[in-house]
Amino acid sequence: MSESVSKVYGLIAEFETPAATMRAAEQLRDLGFQRWDVFSPYPVHGMDQAMGLKNSKVGWFSFIGGATGYTLGMVMIWWMNAADYPIVVGGKPFFSPFSAFPPSYELTILLGAFGALFGMLFLNRLPRLHHPLLKHRRFALASHDRFFIVIETADPKYQPEATRKLLESLGSTRVEPVEE
Amino acid sequence: MQVSTQVEVPVPPPELARVPLVANNRPLGWISDAVARISEIKTPTWWWIAFGISFTMMLVCFAMIAYLMSTGVGVWGLGHPVMWGWAIVNFVWWIGIGHAGTLISAILFLLRQRWRTAVNRAAEAMTIFAVMCAGIFPVIHVGRIWLAWWLFPLPNANNIWPQFRSPLMWDVFAVSTYFTVSVLFWYLGLIPDLAVYRDRARTKVRQFLYGLFALGWTGSNRHWSNYEKAYLILAGLSTPLVLSVHSIVSLDFAVSQLPGWHTTIFPPYFVAGAIFSGFGMVLTLLIPIRKLCGLEDIITKRHVELMCKVTLATGSIVGYAYGMEVFIAWYSGNPYERYAFWNRAFGPYWWAYWIMIACNVVIPQLFWFRKVRQNMLVVWILSVLVNVGMWFERFVIVVTTLAREFLPANWGFYAPTWVDICTYLGTFGLFFTFFLLFMRFLPVIAIAEVKGVTPQADPHHPLGGAREGGHHG
Amino acid sequence: MSAHAPSPPLPPPLDLSRWRSLPNRLIGIGAVGVLLGLVLNPLQFGYSWLTVFMFFLSLGLGALFLVMVHHLFDAGWSVPIRRFCEHLANLVFPWLLIFFLPIALLAPKLYGWMQVADPHADHALHAKLPLFTRPGFYLVAVLCFAIWTWLARRLRAASLAQDQDGAARHTLRMRRLSAGGIFLFALTLTLAAILWMKGLMYEWFSTMYGVYYFAGSVWMTLGTVYFITMVLKRTGTLAPVLHEHQFYFIGSLMFAFTVFYAYIHFSQYFIIWNANLPEETFWYVLREKGTWWYVGLVLIFGHFFLPFLAMLRIDLKLSFAWMTPLCAWTWVMHYVDMAFNVHPVLHPNGYPFHWAWLDLACAALMGGLLLRAFLKEFAAHPPYPVKDPRLSEAMGYVVVHPSPISGGDLDEVDELNGAVEPNGGTR
Repeated sequence: MSESVSKVYGLIAEFETPAATMRAAEQLRDLGFQRWDVFSPYPVHGMDQAMGLKNSKVGWFSFIGGATGYTLGMVMIWWMNAADYPIVVGGKPFFSPFSAFPPSYELTILLGAFGALFGMLFLNRLPRLHHPLLKHRRFALASHDRFFIVIETADPKYQPEATRKLLESLGSTRVEPVEE
Repeated sequence: MQVSTQVEVPVPPPELARVPLVANNRPLGWISDAVARISEIKTPTWWWIAFGISFTMMLVCFAMIAYLMSTGVGVWGLGHPVMWGWAIVNFVWWIGIGHAGTLISAILFLLRQRWRTAVNRAAEAMTIFAVMCAGIFPVIHVGRIWLAWWLFPLPNANNIWPQFRSPLMWDVFAVSTYFTVSVLFWYLGLIPDLAVYRDRARTKVRQFLYGLFALGWTGSNRHWSNYEKAYLILAGLSTPLVLSVHSIVSLDFAVSQLPGWHTTIFPPYFVAGAIFSGFGMVLTLLIPIRKLCGLEDIITKRHVELMCKVTLATGSIVGYAYGMEVFIAWYSGNPYERYAFWNRAFGPYWWAYWIMIACNVVIPQLFWFRKVRQNMLVVWILSVLVNVGMWFERFVIVVTTLAREFLPANWGFYAPTWVDICTYLGTFGLFFTFFLLFMRFLPVIAIAEVKGVTPQADPHHPLGGAREGGHHG
Repeated sequence: MSAHAPSPPLPPPLDLSRWRSLPNRLIGIGAVGVLLGLVLNPLQFGYSWLTVFMFFLSLGLGALFLVMVHHLFDAGWSVPIRRFCEHLANLVFPWLLIFFLPIALLAPKLYGWMQVADPHADHALHAKLPLFTRPGFYLVAVLCFAIWTWLARRLRAASLAQDQDGAARHTLRMRRLSAGGIFLFALTLTLAAILWMKGLMYEWFSTMYGVYYFAGSVWMTLGTVYFITMVLKRTGTLAPVLHEHQFYFIGSLMFAFTVFYAYIHFSQYFIIWNANLPEETFWYVLREKGTWWYVGLVLIFGHFFLPFLAMLRIDLKLSFAWMTPLCAWTWVMHYVDMAFNVHPVLHPNGYPFHWAWLDLACAALMGGLLLRAFLKEFAAHPPYPVKDPRLSEAMGYVVVHPSPISGGDLDEVDELNGAVEPNGGTR
């Protein structure tokens, strides 16, 4: 790779319809490309299968968050009201799973929600302030009404000319290089 | 190999045809244009007028709070025996309104009600601002506000912890969780739309700010995959949350022993009432917005009709609960219970009770009629009445019970002072100030989600580019 | 279309012929047991019969509710399952009415308040006059059955009329019927639950009780509906009009009602527990004695935690091998719930294990008769509303727009190979 400023990040191929994008994605998946992605203004239904993506792992983050929240709530209430400074109130037991349930339940949801949002951001490696694609002049349409497929030069199967021809043959209306 | 029998499939007659969610077959890009236009055009005059009024009212609210803090809760109409007056009424009312947003974004999402996409963003914003208004009241109601931190799980000056056997502590957790999760949910939905605004931005400031909050979103499908999962999980978590918050608010009343408060149906009844009032407020806000912002093709009459139906359903559930309360008060044979309900209907606050019945039970029944649901002005008026009715419901619950306790020696009469009234009106200023800012600077419609429910977004649909017989073929 | 999209070979249709004698066998065994019980201990028979009656009433009312809600929500997906729900709802008359007769006859023995010599001397009873009098009791029963019968009959009649001409006016008519019907339904179900079950301990009161019975009833009905739909898919009867989403939606509703029931019951218990008023707590205090304590735990874990965890994963709602035991489990748990409500009256020290056979016998007799009646009705009419305007939607022929954030692989248009049928039409 040359050290010049115009290092190529990948090839960007533009598509008009979700169906055309999906057909192309299925082909790329079957050809065994690794470092490539589809960009769309909304999540296209069925694209995960078309790209061969596995089920998202966000659920685990949320589950761990929720379990922590519930345990934290129960232990906190038991410790504050039954262990550290017990006070008799209304003849009720110092600790009861019933009256400790509502706050613990809320903490479950709170930490579960944090797990979902931050898990999503972590898995997506967001936030990031810079991305080569965001400089590309037509890429702004990816949030408007166009669909793009980007194959990175880092992909082991990437070959400058062959990949461009492939993308054109898959029905892209326009294939351009993206600078790093 | 088994070949399934060919079945004759009837074609729906025209009167039963489904109305599309986005009217006039608008293309994907049009949706971005129509929504972003609201933030990109020159600020309209009506916005400045509305903002001026709201901002002034918000200042009134702050002035009232300052007066209360410097003088004491005596400036309110509270006093023995009615120690919970307008402050708690307003708290429950605002937090109830805050339930529609999460209901729309979470429960309707799980129920796959696609029409929610047009209204969920505004409803979620409404939720957040309503919960902010609600949160003010319990805090200033404690009197010595500088000791409000005693509500947090911290040891106070004598090393005593807060009491988790008290429903008021549950409230602290419920409301703060609700607020936080609503903000998270709202923000999660906003990320792709902030990217839309960033990509359209023409000025440096807009590019920078929208870019900052869009977190570098590119619309990558690998990202969408995690995003969808996070959205589903947040919806799954918010659904029990939305039910639990108002249930816990209802427990503030129901776990006590006071006649009229202690009744087992309170949790579901409060939740239904909250959704009812929330949808009332959503209608109150969205009917003008769709006109003022030119969004009639996205928030269609069908959307309004559907929201009317939710209002009707929840209003009827509330009616059932009112009926059960009265019936079981009679059935129980408990003289205090019986008196509490007789007093509500025919005692000194009879007017509040009958306003409540009229607005919450009788008036929503008009939504059975298609003609009513189709008339935007009538729907708007009825939605305002729903809000009025729900305020009176909380008034009836809080005040009538406290004013007529077990012992006649404990009886009293409650009336608000001008400070009560101005504080309450001031929270409208707070609410609308935030809402107008939201309308001006953020996407009022969930752009990415609405795009997804159009036929041209569907890769299996001919408009989405599918070949005859599906694209897999 | 099948040439175009080869589907995996289906398993051979389920052969139910060896089950054909099941209803009669159930009736036979049940009748023997019931007669024996009646001879041995008429009072115990009364409570057992009441438990099982309330159990099967849940099925009729739950099905009626599902039919009405289908019309009120203008739902599309539930068209194929609506016809057998209509039949289930119609079991109310005559069969459930017939099953009510022993209760009507034994009522003076079953209901403590009917034995109070002077109702005016008993405050809890005095307060409930004139509802808690014999005429009140029987009039309410007549009213409830009349309304249920009327609603179930009219709804099915309109549905069958639509089978002939497919006209939209039938749909609109059923919608109007359901609109008024849902109010009558709420009223009568509450009255029935109060008079027939809560009235066993007439001193006790809870505003939640009607909702509580309703929540359990619909839950158990959904389990039944899932099972029936699955069987009808496997036999091939409904296979051509079913899509994956029916199972997904019924499963989701079951999950929702699992949570709803738990929410309702927890709220009722919790509010009473926390306020600690003796006039209310005695009902639960009684149910925490002896083995009833364990029955309560079974309800907490079996009625909530087990089905909740079992259905938490989305894709498992489509697995018949996973869901069939759960459907059976809804019956077991709903029975436990009904027993928890009824039996402590006669057996305050614990669940009457030695009389469990009598409950089973009652269940066999009623279940066998209901099954036979249901199968007869089902065979006599088209198995699904053949000309319902929403049928195409239920089959997934009209392209339903996928949700923007679908959250899984289970949307309506998953496998729409050949989505655009000649007569299905696109929007």
